[in-house]
Amino acid sequence: MARFYLEKGKVAAFIAHLQSQKTVYAPHRKGRNAFAFAPVERPEDVVLDYPRTVSSIKKYFLPAREELLSFNLVENTCAQPAVAPLDAVFLGVHSYDVHAVLKLDHNFVAGNPERNYLTRRQGALIVGVGFTPDRFHFSGSVGIPAGDTTGCDLFLHPCEGGYALEALTPGGEGLLAGFPLPAHAAGLPAAAPFHQHIYVPQAKLKDVLAHGYDSEVWEEEAEKCTSCGTCNLVCPTCYCFDVEDAVDITVTRGSRERHWDGCLLRSFTEVAGGEVFREEPADRQRHRVFRKFKYISDETGEPWCVGCGRCTASCTAGISIVSIVNRLVNDYDAVKA
Amino acid sequence: MANKPRVGIFDFTGCEGCELNQLNFEDQLLDILEHVEIVEWREAMDGRSEELDIAFVEGALSTPDCIKRIHEIRRKTKVLVALGACAVQGGINALKNIRPIEQVREEVYGQDKYLFPTLPALPLSAVVKVDVNVRGCPMTQLEFLKVFTALVMGKAPIEPGNSVCTECKLKDNECVYEKGMICLGPVTRAGCDAQCPTFGQYCTGCRGLVPEPNVEAMQEILVAHGLSMDDARKKLQLFNANQLEGVS
Repeated sequence: MARFYLEKGKVAAFIAHLQSQKTVYAPHRKGRNAFAFAPVERPEDVVLDYPRTVSSIKKYFLPAREELLSFNLVENTCAQPAVAPLDAVFLGVHSYDVHAVLKLDHNFVAGNPERNYLTRRQGALIVGVGFTPDRFHFSGSVGIPAGDTTGCDLFLHPCEGGYALEALTPGGEGLLAGFPLPAHAAGLPAAAPFHQHIYVPQAKLKDVLAHGYDSEVWEEEAEKCTSCGTCNLVCPTCYCFDVEDAVDITVTRGSRERHWDGCLLRSFTEVAGGEVFREEPADRQRHRVFRKFKYISDETGEPWCVGCGRCTASCTAGISIVSIVNRLVNDYDAVKA
Repeated sequence: MANKPRVGIFDFTGCEGCELNQLNFEDQLLDILEHVEIVEWREAMDGRSEELDIAFVEGALSTPDCIKRIHEIRRKTKVLVALGACAVQGGINALKNIRPIEQVREEVYGQDKYLFPTLPALPLSAVVKVDVNVRGCPMTQLEFLKVFTALVMGKAPIEPGNSVCTECKLKDNECVYEKGMICLGPVTRAGCDAQCPTFGQYCTGCRGLVPEPNVEAMQEILVAHGLSMDDARKKLQLFNANQLEGVS
């Protein structure tokens, strides 16, 4: 489809144009050095050139905390809260985060379809934006270049003086109606290189991980790890959760809440009776990595990691998923070569 | 409710801030009193009771008299709740445990030290069976309400075992380390809704360490972010001196 030229000076007007049609969620500065998606109030607060956000846009479809039902113990009744499609525009999403949503779609359609997630996903339009890889990004290694437009309705390719705005779907074109832009005739600038790489494709990783099941790397990394769970909670393709009932102080009403949880956390693996089914931190570390490159991947043929680098960038202990995987590749090659 | 649970509230070595925090339930205090009958509470009323369904106990045990009193409370109580960092871990009182006890005694009481017998500051659980913990310094109101409603309903409260980091991430907070500060969130028990990091502070570990904490890894992280090994240890000792020595 068509490509238009959006000069930097018109970006705020473009965002305002989107706002006039739908709620717009976009990256904003949060705290000193962090970024987070938030509803746009003032177009000039939106940051389109950012390394990564704390959480991905997953939080809008699978909220960090969500009421699944409310109940009344006196009347013996319960009700599910109404969930509506998110009729919104997600602006400034990086390619890997769009891929992450597509992967979650797969997870939530397969098996028992997840009603709340799938309902919210309806109607969401995505305006992607290119990014310059920092030292943690490695999405290029998992098949997601910075300029990949998969799953987007519009895409902003950074270029001289602004953006090449690519319309990719009728929904995306519809957003542009009433906002005339000149065509973008020039080509796109060459993509900036990644600084982190996994050097082998998923087809080989399948065997590499199987071979590395008993590797020493799990114990070595576990020694550095506090099991804080941050790597799980910032991961855009993690979707594990815990469910908790709570009553209010009247002890007559309450609600059932679902919140994000993660396989690296010891209490996640603690079940009724106090049994902990994955007791060793090394076992949990391995499970986390296998969830990204082995278990789901063996079924789908794709890595379930999108290379955003969040787990590594957010790890206070400096544990790197790329280093773990590359170490396993080297071990595998040393034996099989 | 025909028979309201009979509740007693007790204090040992501590600042009484946890008890005060119970009186601070401005929106819920009347509801709380709907469900229970408070029969013993030195800070707020006169009177003693011989039998209790629930005892909320604040403070660490630090004198021979404390040991005697906590046994008395345990004997007459069905469910004993440790309230706040001092009762659960020994709290900042336990900082005295890392120095020779005679030296501490002399520093505080001088030549009158023989009048004041003292023991290492211990969590309640080091002496009697504790059924439920409400953690924090002061105790986390949010957790108190969860524990309270569970007990009134006759259910076992769930004790959080995840790290404070998980609660920061659920709130999309910027990591405290990103701001160039250090934080004990990675090894500290959740349940406070990451209050301090959310409002610009760092986690000091007041809610105690997570189950099976990797203390060595936490120290390495602190050192990697600029603390000396000694300072890293001190940061961890502030609220967890006992746990670091294996006392719990």
